Amino acid sequence: MTRSGMLRDAVIAIVALAVLVAIPFVFTKPSLRDFLIYVMAYGLLAMSLNLLVGLTGLVSFGHAAFFVSGAYMFGLLMQSGNVSIPVAMLITVAGTAMLALVIGAICVRLKEIYFSFITLAFQMFIHSIILTWVSLTGGDQGLRGGIPRPPFLGIDLGNSVALYIFCACVFMICIVVMRQIWQSPFGYTLRLIRDNPNRANYLGVDIIRMKLGIFVIAGAMASVAGMLLALFVSGAYPEFGFWTTSGEAIFMIMLGSSQLFIGPIIGAILLRLLEHFVSIYTEYHGLVLGLVILAIVLGLRRGVADFVVEWIERRKAARAPATTEHTACAKEGAL
Amino acid sequence: MNLEALFSCLSSSACAVTQVSTALIIGMLLFMVASGLSLIFGVLGVINFAHGAFYMAGAYIAFFTYQATSSFLAAFLAGAAGVGLIGVIFERFVISKVYGKDILMQLLVCYAVILIFDDLVKMVAGPEYKMMGMPEVFALPPLELAGGFVPAYYVFMIGASLVIGLGLWLAIEKTRMGKIVRALAINPQMVGALGINTTLLYAAVFGIGSALAGVAGALAAPTRTLTPGMGLSILIESFIVTVIGGMGSIVGALIAALLIGFTRAFGAIGFPLFVDGMMFGMMAIVLIIKPSGLLGREVTR
Amino acid sequence: MMLSVQNLDKRFGGVHATRNVSIDFPAGSLTAIIGPNGAGKTTFFNLISGAFRPNSGKVIFDGQDIVGKSSLEIVRLGMMRAFQVAEIFPSLTVNEALTAAVISHQRKSWTFMSRFPVPEAQTSAEEIIELLGLEDKADTLSRNLSHGDQKLLDIGLALAMQPKVLLLDEPTAGMGPDERWRMIGKVQHLWSVKKMTVLFIEHDMDIVFKIAQQIHVLKYGAVLATGTADEIRRNQDVIDAYLGTDHHLSEAIGET
Repeated sequence: MTRSGMLRDAVIAIVALAVLVAIPFVFTKPSLRDFLIYVMAYGLLAMSLNLLVGLTGLVSFGHAAFFVSGAYMFGLLMQSGNVSIPVAMLITVAGTAMLALVIGAICVRLKEIYFSFITLAFQMFIHSIILTWVSLTGGDQGLRGGIPRPPFLGIDLGNSVALYIFCACVFMICIVVMRQIWQSPFGYTLRLIRDNPNRANYLGVDIIRMKLGIFVIAGAMASVAGMLLALFVSGAYPEFGFWTTSGEAIFMIMLGSSQLFIGPIIGAILLRLLEHFVSIYTEYHGLVLGLVILAIVLGLRRGVADFVVEWIERRKAARAPATTEHTACAKEGAL
Repeated sequence: MNLEALFSCLSSSACAVTQVSTALIIGMLLFMVASGLSLIFGVLGVINFAHGAFYMAGAYIAFFTYQATSSFLAAFLAGAAGVGLIGVIFERFVISKVYGKDILMQLLVCYAVILIFDDLVKMVAGPEYKMMGMPEVFALPPLELAGGFVPAYYVFMIGASLVIGLGLWLAIEKTRMGKIVRALAINPQMVGALGINTTLLYAAVFGIGSALAGVAGALAAPTRTLTPGMGLSILIESFIVTVIGGMGSIVGALIAALLIGFTRAFGAIGFPLFVDGMMFGMMAIVLIIKPSGLLGREVTR
Repeated sequence: MMLSVQNLDKRFGGVHATRNVSIDFPAGSLTAIIGPNGAGKTTFFNLISGAFRPNSGKVIFDGQDIVGKSSLEIVRLGMMRAFQVAEIFPSLTVNEALTAAVISHQRKSWTFMSRFPVPEAQTSAEEIIELLGLEDKADTLSRNLSHGDQKLLDIGLALAMQPKVLLLDEPTAGMGPDERWRMIGKVQHLWSVKKMTVLFIEHDMDIVFKIAQQIHVLKYGAVLATGTADEIRRNQDVIDAYLGTDHHLSEAIGET
């Protein structure tokens, strides 16, 4: 059972990767490729955040801190010209993990909304460091001069198709890693903490340490997302670490589903599409986005994907005989 | 890093007086915003992430009222009342729908409101900086104090904030209504059972807390440049203040706000690049040593 | 002695919640803690399980003083508890919750490379499910269980940790008469199978007198009486304490 679960996920991942790689060969429009890289970068950010939100019940409002640190660390390392792309990526992941360890050690002691606020505060701290340390970061202009992409192992990321394939592979590796965490004993222990931290404590679970562990992992994953974006736009900007980026990531989770493993990616696609169409009609897309969020939260009172899943279940229940109807009602009452 | 400049400022009374007055107005503005945040959290158990947007709204309402009426009093009152009303509406139609829901929903509606407010301001006032200018009432010669000069408006601002803070403290600690509000924070069912309309009370508390942000915005308007998005930095700072001072403690908020005010005013001379770092450092130290804050009650989470 | 409480004292501000309580619990015993509402029974559990820190006194558990240790450390030494209001994991199934608890007991919560549920943990979880008689609800979400089954699951979670001492805070709270007897029958069964030391708080005197080996009566935070069912029934202090405060006991006493 457990082996077959891993095997099944591996097969799905390989097929998905193949499809992802094949897309630009079938639909050759470069704008589609760009759209997909954006979705992968932001989707990865939202997925990594969901390790905290959906899996552990920690609603971080400052996750973009690690997204931006990934982008800048990677950009600066590449600009230094001393390391190859894979080495720079590894150093960046390790560096961001250290950063997350320090920030997390303070944050995870706090509960609920306090945690949200303090993570936001730390993110804005990092944002302000980037703005003020102009000599290193270029301040509000972003990292100047572009990010070089020297070829490694015969791969030249200067080629846009190669860059796309590289991003798709990195993205899929991260997804597989996160899936493994999601389904591991570690992941289920985090679910205990999410559902009832007090009880988990009385079952011998060291809540603080577990939370810190997943905080560091989620931060490291977010740094990969930041690196993908930095590679793609060949730069890093303070906006990557602005609070709106964290807010968007939370909204993606909500648009998709926090309980469905790939929910945040669905959310990332929906949000990108929404922003794309809104920006055609108006420059005030914050206003429209805000109204959409209010409509969804106050109208549906849950995520869009959650709503669709429930709707389908209800349809099924309505068609099935009375026995299943009972369980559907029980479930609804609990929600 | 320029500690020499800091020392030379401290040793010249003129510079010291100027910086102290700057520290005080930063501190008092923060105190207004933070006490509103703290009041709402203490009673309703929600952290209003849109509080900074309310501060911004207060500043803009004051700005437009002043342009229309040339009366600072009208601008001040409009800022306070307007934002108080916005707060009540926000509580009734938005936040009250997500009480008891998961934090994700609370966070999202606040996020939405901030986005909407920032864009509304952009639509109405334009994306560029706005300056209200010093109201004519305060076009007085600055006060001279030990060789330093303090603008008359600063004196008014500090005085007004102190009066409002004292009023708030008295209202909560010494009046019957304050007693009910404190009871509401601990046991809402009980208060409801006593025949008091808790729904109304929640909206009122939220309105008052918001009005405090509006007051701060209106008071800040003559001294600050107004921009869409100006609310965020004060939101973060007022959160730092509530963490250091202790959630729910008005006196704690005052002490912490002044602490931040002095760090900002003197840090700007001595170590401008590390001011933010200092603030966060202080917050981190308080969180590690006394998570409930300097004057926070131990029982609060 | 598995658990020995010596001169335990706790004040909350002006309230003296636990007064100089000394009780011994021999290994493998089944002991009831009774007393009128507000007698400090749950506080007593909170003190020995590390949720509260006593002002003075000792709690000797399996040979070492555990006062001042965190609740987590005490749990890891083998003292588990179930709660008056079932503390469960609403969005996990019975099977998942128990397996995760077993994994915690095996100190494998930090395992990343294998998939949940690991077979060894799964087997232990299934044993507990069988012991509790929850076989047909193994895949039900915990939040959809009946009240009684949620209480059972709460106890099952504690069992997953293979406790030396098990504290049960009103295992029959909120149940109808028939359900109470079924529940307490299961508790007695668990105790005899697992050979643990069990302490339970209970309001129903019929149940207490029927199954407890030793009974300790608390009143105003102090031990009022200690003894077997027969001794407690005849104890004049206990009768006085209960007459007027708990009509049910006077009935139960009247039956003999």
